[in-house]
Amino acid sequence: MPTVNLWAVDGYISTPDGKSIYIWGFTDQEGGSAQLPGPMIIVKQQAPPDKTIVTVNLTNNLPEEVSILFPGQSEVEVNGRPVQPQYYNGGLVSFTNHVLPGETITYTFAAASPGTFLYESGTRPHKQVPMGLYGSIIVRPHDYMPHQPEHKTAYGAGTGTEFDREYLLVVSEIDPDLHQAVEQGKPYNIRSYKPRYWTINGRCANDTMLPHNMSHLPNQPYGAMVMMEPDEKVLIRYTGAGVENHPLHPHGNHTRLVGLDGRLLQNRTGNTTVDLSYKRFTVLAGAGQTHDQIYTWSGLGFDPATNPVPTVIPNLRNMAIGHTGMTMWSGSPYLGLKGELPSGMVSFNEVGEYHFMLHSHAEPEITNWGAFPGGMMTMIAVYPEGKLGHHHGTLPVESHGL
Amino acid sequence: MIRIRRSATDGHIDTPDGRAHYIFGFGNITGVPENELVNYRAGAELMAPPLVLQAGNEYIVTLTNLGTPTRPDLDDPHTIHYHGFPNQIAFYDGVPEASVAVPVGRDLEYYYKPLDPGTYMYHCHHEPVEHIQMGMVGPLVVYPIDYDPSRQAYKTAYGYGTGTEFNREYYVFLNELDCVIHNLVATVQEPDWTKYKPTYWLINGRSYPDTIVTDTGSRLLSQPWPALIGANAGEKVLLRFVNLGFQQQAMEMLGVTMKVVGMDGMRPVGQNGEDLSFNKNIIYIAPGQSYDVIFEAPTSSGSYPITLPFYNRNLVKNNLNGTQPGGMVTEAQIYPPGTLPPQTEPNRFP
Repeated sequence: MPTVNLWAVDGYISTPDGKSIYIWGFTDQEGGSAQLPGPMIIVKQQAPPDKTIVTVNLTNNLPEEVSILFPGQSEVEVNGRPVQPQYYNGGLVSFTNHVLPGETITYTFAAASPGTFLYESGTRPHKQVPMGLYGSIIVRPHDYMPHQPEHKTAYGAGTGTEFDREYLLVVSEIDPDLHQAVEQGKPYNIRSYKPRYWTINGRCANDTMLPHNMSHLPNQPYGAMVMMEPDEKVLIRYTGAGVENHPLHPHGNHTRLVGLDGRLLQNRTGNTTVDLSYKRFTVLAGAGQTHDQIYTWSGLGFDPATNPVPTVIPNLRNMAIGHTGMTMWSGSPYLGLKGELPSGMVSFNEVGEYHFMLHSHAEPEITNWGAFPGGMMTMIAVYPEGKLGHHHGTLPVESHGL
Repeated sequence: MIRIRRSATDGHIDTPDGRAHYIFGFGNITGVPENELVNYRAGAELMAPPLVLQAGNEYIVTLTNLGTPTRPDLDDPHTIHYHGFPNQIAFYDGVPEASVAVPVGRDLEYYYKPLDPGTYMYHCHHEPVEHIQMGMVGPLVVYPIDYDPSRQAYKTAYGYGTGTEFNREYYVFLNELDCVIHNLVATVQEPDWTKYKPTYWLINGRSYPDTIVTDTGSRLLSQPWPALIGANAGEKVLLRFVNLGFQQQAMEMLGVTMKVVGMDGMRPVGQNGEDLSFNKNIIYIAPGQSYDVIFEAPTSSGSYPITLPFYNRNLVKNNLNGTQPGGMVTEAQIYPPGTLPPQTEPNRFP
């Protein structure tokens, strides 16, 4: 059975406008710094009737009580007893059993449903969750087998949730005043909560589009670029870890929502299955909620020889390209081709791939403290067939399994 | 191939408290000769002229950047982003970071062959925080391939046999306006977008009571779309909700049940064709979403017309910069059967 060792610690993250922000967060490395979001926990279910019991050992290296909530999981226990809220002098401190500074607590839960879930602090959560004490849990179905297409699914074979690649996007907000107050031990009135940064996987654009494990972002290890090839089914998992709702809009296509809050959008009665999945082009990633979606993109069949684009392509010197000094465009309207960009233009386009923006449509959230571009924005990169390595969009079967 | 042309330029709109607000926006310059384009500078409209398409047809939409006469120092490029177009290619997607944008004085042709009927939207994607807030936003409607307004079974939102027949249709296009930010842009200052705090809430570019004005005289020339809903008792009314503001809104109509037949331009249908349509009194809509709803105009047990309030249930937003009632408030007026003649275009009656 999987066992995850977590430490609640502090640390710093960076924003693209050059700020360093103090955070509280989780790490699964003893002596490590807090990372944002916390380590991705991926577990695979046991075949029924066996339960999948996950053990999480939490050691508290912060100056006050800390705890972890496991919303959507079953049989959450400490020392064999159901977790309970904690009070001090009659006041609510934690929604669940917490651990004092310097001590360790052991939680267990049963991962009863495949899907995407949140884990987060339940202690003074209005402060500790925005400070960064959150992460995401992926539960894989017991029949998950990544090398067999019919068994590479979000919710089990036969549920219509097959995918080729998968990406986890954890969204949240940051009010730097809160973080500064906690760092300096100064008071902060939560009524004045006012986000200035909006994050995907702990990063603000354009850092969201960088690869995993960048050396200059040591505590923000997860990239947020979605990469795929045409016709692939891409499972995009949203986790809403902030306290606000974010309308996330992917360009290029709708998504089909197949799971909400870690539950398959299907009703089964006897042998009758009613599929409740639906398509949207803007999904409200709500506070504490998760959305599992399948995104595909097949294009329109344009080809320079047999099916050219039916408009005049203007002289590119007369057009506005890369006004911020860079572009992600190839210079060609065709997938897999590169055109000649105006001289001096830096293009981050690799092999003629298309880039489709995925961003919050509450547009002030795609800024870094009010300056566009930034914030809750990334790209979906569609690579020409055969040009994208298989490792992109691959998450392990299990992250902390034995 | 059907050709449509849009200008990108600036202009002003009015709110009922007597204030004017600087905007950027689109205008309709389809068929305008080149030597007359100059007359369309400063002709931005809010909401932007709807892009009205039909599935299966091919369109070239030309965007012409006519500049911003009120801000001659500003040389911002513009684009058209057809929000939600399935399987779009990057070149026609209108994202400057991932394709090209149109500088002042230039044109760009966008090609669309829509295949999926429904309610979509279009907006400029250059510095989208600023250009969307400044007003470069409008609805985009795709009629089904078999659409035929002369035959009831074929006058539908999503095609014959989809249960989406309607008699009348109305845009309910939502956005908000922060007059402080509009003033900053008008006076060449850089806004801090984290301070965004709307002061006006608009349906089809207008705040109540302008929403219910159908004959505006010389007023509201750049806001040509009323939001007053009219129908004869028993008729089916299609409302096309689009939100291109930055806030969620909760639009409530009293006295009817609204059946949600489309979300983001797609019928709510499961993978095996399950009908997932549902009924609502309030449409809770986030930025960048659309809803298609159909309601049946009620019959009066007494006199006509019946007036049905239609307003934002986020009640504190129903004001004009805090000074007087206004905002996303309008009404539906229901007449005896046979009173109103058929519509010639959405939002028009009689």
